[in-house]
Amino acid sequence: MSTKYKDKSVDIHAPGVEVKKSCCYFCHQNCGVLAYVKDGKVIKIEGDPNHPTNQGGLCCRGNIALQHLDHPGRINHPLKRAGEKGEGKWEQIPWDQAISEIADKLNAIKQESGAEAVAAAAGTLRTDDWSRRRFLNLFGTPNGFHNALLCWIPTFMMETAIGGWSPFETDLGAAKVVILWGFNPGASAMPGMRGYTDLKKAGMKIIVIDPRFSETAAKADLWLPVRPGSDSALALGMLNVIINEGLYDQSFVENWCVGFDELSEHIQQYSPEWAGEQTWLDPEQIREAARMYANNKPGCIQWGCTADQMGKASASGMQAREIMRAICGNLDCPGGDLMPGPSQDYITDEELEGNDFLPEEQKAKQIGSAKFKLTAWPGYSIIAKNCKEVWGKAPTAEWMCEAHGPSVFKAILTGDPYQVRALICSATNPINSYGDSKMTLEAIKKVEFLVVCEYWMTPTALYADYVMPIAGALERPVIHNNYGVTDSMICAERAIQPLYERHPDFNFWRDLSIATGAPADQWPWQELEDAFYYVTYPLNQKGYAHSSYNEFVQKFRMYYPPLHYYKYANGFATPSRRVELKSSILEELGYPSLPTWVGPAENEVDDPEVAKQYPLVLTTGGGFMPFHHSEEFNIQSLRFIKHEPFFTINPETAAKLGIANGDWCWIETRRGRIRQRANVEPSVDPRVIYAQRGWWYPERDPKAASSADQPFGCLESNVNVLTSVDDEHCDPIGGSWANRGLLCKVYKATVTDTFDTRFSIPGSSAEPGVTVKPSEQKLAFEPIPYDPKPSFEVPEGLTWDKDLKKAVYEPMNLVYDENSGWLYDPKTSVYYDLQTKYAYDPTNEVLVDEKGQQYDMTTKQPVEKGGK
Amino acid sequence: MTRYAMVIDKRRCIGCQSCTVACRTWNNLPMDIIYNPVVSEGVQGKWPNVHQTFTPLLCNHCQNPPCVICCPCKATFQDDDGIVWVDPNKCMGCKFCVQNCPYGARDVSAAPEEGFARKCTFCKDRVRTAELPPDQRPEGWKPEDALPYCVNTCHQKARIFGDLDDPDSEVSKLVNGNTTTRLFTELGTDPQVYYIEENGGSVK
Repeated sequence: MSTKYKDKSVDIHAPGVEVKKSCCYFCHQNCGVLAYVKDGKVIKIEGDPNHPTNQGGLCCRGNIALQHLDHPGRINHPLKRAGEKGEGKWEQIPWDQAISEIADKLNAIKQESGAEAVAAAAGTLRTDDWSRRRFLNLFGTPNGFHNALLCWIPTFMMETAIGGWSPFETDLGAAKVVILWGFNPGASAMPGMRGYTDLKKAGMKIIVIDPRFSETAAKADLWLPVRPGSDSALALGMLNVIINEGLYDQSFVENWCVGFDELSEHIQQYSPEWAGEQTWLDPEQIREAARMYANNKPGCIQWGCTADQMGKASASGMQAREIMRAICGNLDCPGGDLMPGPSQDYITDEELEGNDFLPEEQKAKQIGSAKFKLTAWPGYSIIAKNCKEVWGKAPTAEWMCEAHGPSVFKAILTGDPYQVRALICSATNPINSYGDSKMTLEAIKKVEFLVVCEYWMTPTALYADYVMPIAGALERPVIHNNYGVTDSMICAERAIQPLYERHPDFNFWRDLSIATGAPADQWPWQELEDAFYYVTYPLNQKGYAHSSYNEFVQKFRMYYPPLHYYKYANGFATPSRRVELKSSILEELGYPSLPTWVGPAENEVDDPEVAKQYPLVLTTGGGFMPFHHSEEFNIQSLRFIKHEPFFTINPETAAKLGIANGDWCWIETRRGRIRQRANVEPSVDPRVIYAQRGWWYPERDPKAASSADQPFGCLESNVNVLTSVDDEHCDPIGGSWANRGLLCKVYKATVTDTFDTRFSIPGSSAEPGVTVKPSEQKLAFEPIPYDPKPSFEVPEGLTWDKDLKKAVYEPMNLVYDENSGWLYDPKTSVYYDLQTKYAYDPTNEVLVDEKGQQYDMTTKQPVEKGGK
Repeated sequence: MTRYAMVIDKRRCIGCQSCTVACRTWNNLPMDIIYNPVVSEGVQGKWPNVHQTFTPLLCNHCQNPPCVICCPCKATFQDDDGIVWVDPNKCMGCKFCVQNCPYGARDVSAAPEEGFARKCTFCKDRVRTAELPPDQRPEGWKPEDALPYCVNTCHQKARIFGDLDDPDSEVSKLVNGNTTTRLFTELGTDPQVYYIEENGGSVK
């Protein structure tokens, strides 16, 4: 019928089509992408079959790059606030004007309150971070931060403190066993998943530790479904088995480790039986896992995000895992966990950051560094010194040495330790991606001056004074080198110049830095390609002849130094030059030097009172296809796959709570409640709830009345409303806040339910980090004041019960049903009249008093027995 | 002769639905059309003894395609290499074929000017470039360009495409070397998408 139908297919081989070696930019795997460009426009993209990471594969997100590139929702020009904060009225201004106005305001704040009153928040590893750090250092503020503390950085710093560099590169090709610990590559690292699947076919054993039957657990040889948040107990229990059964590598321990005797004495308290109680596992499963790992040498322990998201229960697990690798002789050996060290052959991120520009007195002002020392200047300084002595270079300071994000948000609200007045957010929507969203939202609303560098109008961007348009995938060159702490790199070029007035964030930081008064010669690179050529230039010496960065990408694309093992021949980069099973760096910082169990942020053992009210264990933060963190909810081609938020609940528990598949339910913790739909499935323990992360509703009108307090429904289904950033719940060593292993309850939602945006901030910045000794495991616990107000008028004679959230008639223990206007007895389900307190008899449709006298329903006059 | 077929290795599929999204973007499909959904019954069993499998679906390019014979305007064809396709300029959008396909592999979009039956074509424009003599292939052609796009995009390499009549092709080896299943063979359609089953949740 439709004879006019025009074929819409695009010919990637048409004359004049150029192939650009770009990369995907929708998570930090940075899979290779071939972009077909004609007349300055990208006409098609596909996975690069010759790229080492993805070998042609692209996941859901990778495939929507073209929809993302010119999506109608993208921010294309600098926007200046024209109305009230959050009103959504904007004036479009030129880039240079925006930069100079922002610079003037930042300089004024620096003049009045010091540079430290300016903070910078960021999200994942998809920004030009060294340039941000260079700006912050030149400006003089120590208060830059990322979501680093939830993602690898505490693990990296812990492992580097113990072993001189994090052994994060798994040499899987020769490995016999791999532990995927709290890691679900099946949903969050697809290229890796293929490797595991192939190697498993070739005979490698896979141990998966995950409270959920994940895509990866489905393919495991041994799956350990631990209680969320108890991973550290499992690590300690396994360590106990390995030491007591003599499964460790004696010669490595004797030659390369210190503190083994203290360790073996200390670890005795963590028997598999003890660990079984904490983790809900059978002690035999723990023994089996320990034996499978230790007896199948060489083996790898792959890092997973969970390691850094369990709040105060995080650190001991990181420590125990690093020790486990070391004593089993799996450090930097073929088939083991390799320590790449900083690149000796090209310029590292740390060398670009200009950390010497930041004065010592400013370093001391870094927010949170007095409490959470390992991942801030106190810990970083010691580690960097040791690394420089041994490796010649230090780890990247951006990421590894940052302010404590939640503490900065608290400082905005409380002025403690000092008032933070300006916040620059780039590539982050903290309301959805940092913990305790109600508090974070309030901080975003309150901060005096907010600049947001973004692709989209996020809930955070809505409150900004300036929104800057940022170049995304295909519009920027990318060097992928694991936060700048590995010795290899994979490079990608721009497919096209940025559309509209978008710029890579490098240009934002460079322009802003020069506009705030930094000498232009501190930024000798005009564009990212210039800076990246500076990075790759030394490779000319290694036989990689190139005269520009783009030439390097086209000719070589990647740089891998010749693989060599046992790089520790001259000693590990620790104070003793040995693997410090008993860590002297932790001791110096005032922390337990041996791995010491601390229970999860909220747990039934330490907080039985809380557990009574919130009987289920909540785990959050896991990645799920097709979204990444709080991104891509506005891309129709992805959202159709999962258009509503779901939490997973075991059928047994759901039946008990009267919850059916698909029901909208509230998930509530002590911090607040959110609404998601029930996915009733036996993929979690009956005691566990798994809730999806990131949810907001970009399709909603932020000006609608229902969105007034929480634009785009940013608190409605956002799991971070439930997570905790209270100091007492954070890991005292690395500062991770608690995403997993929290206590919650779940109940069905009704249409009239409303939201509550109140929150509280316990703790203060003056308090030092909690030093945990075995005898002090039970940390001080103060309940958070939570005082819900009735949503209706409480009738006279009734009192408001804030625990039940109902009005009650105390003399008879009756509860008021605000919808019908009747009282009822929750035990007998009998209804009572509100005024007279007579019971309702449904058979005769009359009211009856305690003596059996009947009364008329409307007149409330006595009636004769036997009829009306 | 050439007989194109696809093998889907369910032992490798993790249900990420990348193929679903990739197919739509590569073929510029309207929002209400999906050629290759991935379906699952969810996690089955009783905690913690559970399992889950995913089944990617697509047109089976049957040897006896019921959608071809039912078409009143002869708009749907099967070529010698087995590929079943629709000519949008002949189709009047009556949906007879949509009803007649037992696999739900066809649909008509509600979008304006898209009112014709459409379905997976095994990316025939791509795969047939392999049959061209090397000197007639377009400049910059690479072997991956001759595979359906969903095969390329699959990180897990769970989809394998090739010529079943070629005894050296990977699909021939897989079909002949493994126990495979096909969907609704009892209907006599002789579908040409072969599934290697999960076998208790592990890759053998």
